[in-house]
Amino acid sequence: MARAFTMPTVRNPFSAEFRALLPVLLSTRGKIGAGRIERLRARRSVLSQSGTFVGHRRYELGDDLRHIDWSAYARTGELFTKQLEEEDRRGVSVMIDLSPSMLAGTPPRRLAALRLAAVIAGLALARLDGVSIVAPGAKEPNRRFSGVAQLPRLLDHLDKLPVATTTPAEATALALQAEAIGRVHWISDFAVPHDFSLPVLSLRRRGAKVFGWLPAVPEDDAPPSGGYLRVIDPESGHELAVPVDRAFQDELRGQLALLQRQQRRMFAEAGSQLWRWAQGDADVPRLSDYLPIVAACAR
Amino acid sequence: MNLMIDLTEPQFLWALLLLPVLWWLSQPPQPRRQVVSAHLAQWQLAMRALRRRPPRGSWLRFALLALAAIGATIAAARPFVPATDGPGKLVVLLDASASMAVVDGDQSAFERARDKLRATLAALPEHIDVTLLRCGGDLRRRHGVAARQCNDLGQPGGGLEADLVQLAEQAQTDDCVVWTLTDGQGQQQVPAVGALTMLPTAGPNAVITAVRVHDAWPLPTLMLEVDVVAFSLPDAPLAAVLQLSGAVTEPQQIACDLQSSVAQTVTVSVQRAVTGGELLLELQLSGDRLPHDNLHALTLPPLPAPRIAVLAEQDAGPFAIVAAAALADEVAGEVVALEAGVAAGMLLVDGGFVALQAANGELARRRVLTFGTRLSPEATSEPWLSPAPIDWSRSSPLTRGLDLSELRIERAWRNILPDGEAFLWWVDGDDRVPLGVLVDAGETASVHFAFRLEDSNLPLLPAFPQLLRRAFVRSYGQTETSIATPSVSPASEHDLSAPAAADDRALPQFGSQDVGLARWFVCAGLVALAFRAFVR
Repeated sequence: MARAFTMPTVRNPFSAEFRALLPVLLSTRGKIGAGRIERLRARRSVLSQSGTFVGHRRYELGDDLRHIDWSAYARTGELFTKQLEEEDRRGVSVMIDLSPSMLAGTPPRRLAALRLAAVIAGLALARLDGVSIVAPGAKEPNRRFSGVAQLPRLLDHLDKLPVATTTPAEATALALQAEAIGRVHWISDFAVPHDFSLPVLSLRRRGAKVFGWLPAVPEDDAPPSGGYLRVIDPESGHELAVPVDRAFQDELRGQLALLQRQQRRMFAEAGSQLWRWAQGDADVPRLSDYLPIVAACAR
Repeated sequence: MNLMIDLTEPQFLWALLLLPVLWWLSQPPQPRRQVVSAHLAQWQLAMRALRRRPPRGSWLRFALLALAAIGATIAAARPFVPATDGPGKLVVLLDASASMAVVDGDQSAFERARDKLRATLAALPEHIDVTLLRCGGDLRRRHGVAARQCNDLGQPGGGLEADLVQLAEQAQTDDCVVWTLTDGQGQQQVPAVGALTMLPTAGPNAVITAVRVHDAWPLPTLMLEVDVVAFSLPDAPLAAVLQLSGAVTEPQQIACDLQSSVAQTVTVSVQRAVTGGELLLELQLSGDRLPHDNLHALTLPPLPAPRIAVLAEQDAGPFAIVAAAALADEVAGEVVALEAGVAAGMLLVDGGFVALQAANGELARRRVLTFGTRLSPEATSEPWLSPAPIDWSRSSPLTRGLDLSELRIERAWRNILPDGEAFLWWVDGDDRVPLGVLVDAGETASVHFAFRLEDSNLPLLPAFPQLLRRAFVRSYGQTETSIATPSVSPASEHDLSAPAAADDRALPQFGSQDVGLARWFVCAGLVALAFRAFVR
């Protein structure tokens, strides 16, 4: 008879220390790549500030002053930002896995995933023209952000993302609904690599460049030291009572290493790359722990 | 069949309330630490690679454990199937009278009854209390295991002294069943209650009903009077033969023409064998169904067959030796010389001296016949010339019926006779002076005369051989030799032609005993535990 267990929760993923670190991180020289076509259009947009005008939206703090429609300000007395078609095409998509399995780990993998999404999306807001947060299972599963001024809103959006059980295929379908898709940063635990193989390939066929991000937790490499443990799969609710001894530790370590090889092979076979990132001390985030993200995004 | 189960101590069933506790205890230990992992599959693969199984509870294992616990609990409550009503005791009345020895085929009726008893009693439930009464001959009572094994029942014999009808009616109760096994012989009717097994024994039968013995011991002549009777189903003359064999000098066969149910007496005179032994009397009749009562055996003791020693003075003449030889010939004895180392049963002394009397006058207990012999060296004898007149006892066993009126004695001796019963006297007025005495010492006796044979005409008298024989017989004491005549079967067992008849009646259904089921529940619990050991 299965006993009830308490699902780990992630409270306040964006602590004051992280929020203080984020502007510093975005102000580094690191770049973030976008899709090839979109990158050319973006360069042209930056140089000529041209593009197909599609409308206005109210000015928000942090918007590029060059996009302010001064004529409209003269007419109405309010600040509007011009919406150009090229903006949307210079962004990246960040797909984040909201499944319960992301709650595993100490601290939970979801914490690292949200912070990783915040950094990647923040870089996109700062360096590019926009970012799409694809979160299947969320109230707004596909939401766009543009302009670094929307960083707080982005963080708020990420903070409010629920825990939802979805499949990789559903996430892929959601990402493909975007009109144009360039670079996709897929943040997940890829616990079952086989389930991600076809979705990654379908993204590649649509021309997207997929970057896999796996927020690492200590349990990915080092099994528990020993004892009689109740192991719970947060996604399925299945559990297993396991007496852990040295032999079992060695065997489980081998199985986890095999899983990591399978994850890498899955992305390699799809012509993509998997980045494994360990966030370090979650309570006291340090810049050095997050610089590898910036470096990886610049590739 | 009563399948209702009752409990002796139902309060133990309260222990079943502990089954939830047992369920709780049967659960595998719960881990104290909890780990949330997205890699449960890897944990399972690691377990599988190490061929390990996670500790887990099993409904089947618990069911088997619960079954064992329930079995033990019910066993503690001592379940049983209540007894059914019915008799719990069996009294067997076994007719062991002489007629049950009738042989039919290769078994007698008694053996058939015993076999049937053994088979039936072996199949009886153990709780049935069995009592076996052997009626007929010596009454024997066996109870319990001894009754069930039918051991030590002996052989049929004697009459049926007990009234089976009365016995059966007295023993039969609601709780007790009587089972009578009889042939119906010697009974007016057979029991009307209880079970009954009839063993037919009807048929012709010849019987020696009595044997009377007239013994002349220590002489070899033996007179027998044998009463015989024959019974036949058709009243027709029966040709029988009475055969005597064994301890006789010459076997005899006497043909008897018997009438059915009419007793006859056959008188036979035989000469006993000197060595004694068993004298067999057998009445032979063709078709006799009960030959046991035709055979009688008389145990005859050996005759004295004495070795007679003779001691006579040189001038005593040949009378003593001749008399001893004649006596030995008559009683199948022999004359031996009186020498050192030669045993003699009787001593015949004529004259002289033989040390038989002690100084105190006590006479040695010997079979001695003396004529004018001094018995003690201290005795002072005086010659006594021509004692007359002479008289003799008419009642003494020695001289009764003898005529000694012609007895003449030329010389006798005074003071040589020991004290004893005088049977021959010299009559001196009113006094009688013994000339011959009999000294009776119980099993032995000695006869003493105050004169030698040479000094009288006694050897010439016709009564002398008879007197000599009587002295010999008397010297062997007055105790009669007894030839035991075996008991004959009672008259009720002779006629096998008209037994009481009735139909067999089977034994009723006996009541059952409480059947305890506790051990079966214990076994069920143990089996459940054994299965549980193999269930993972």
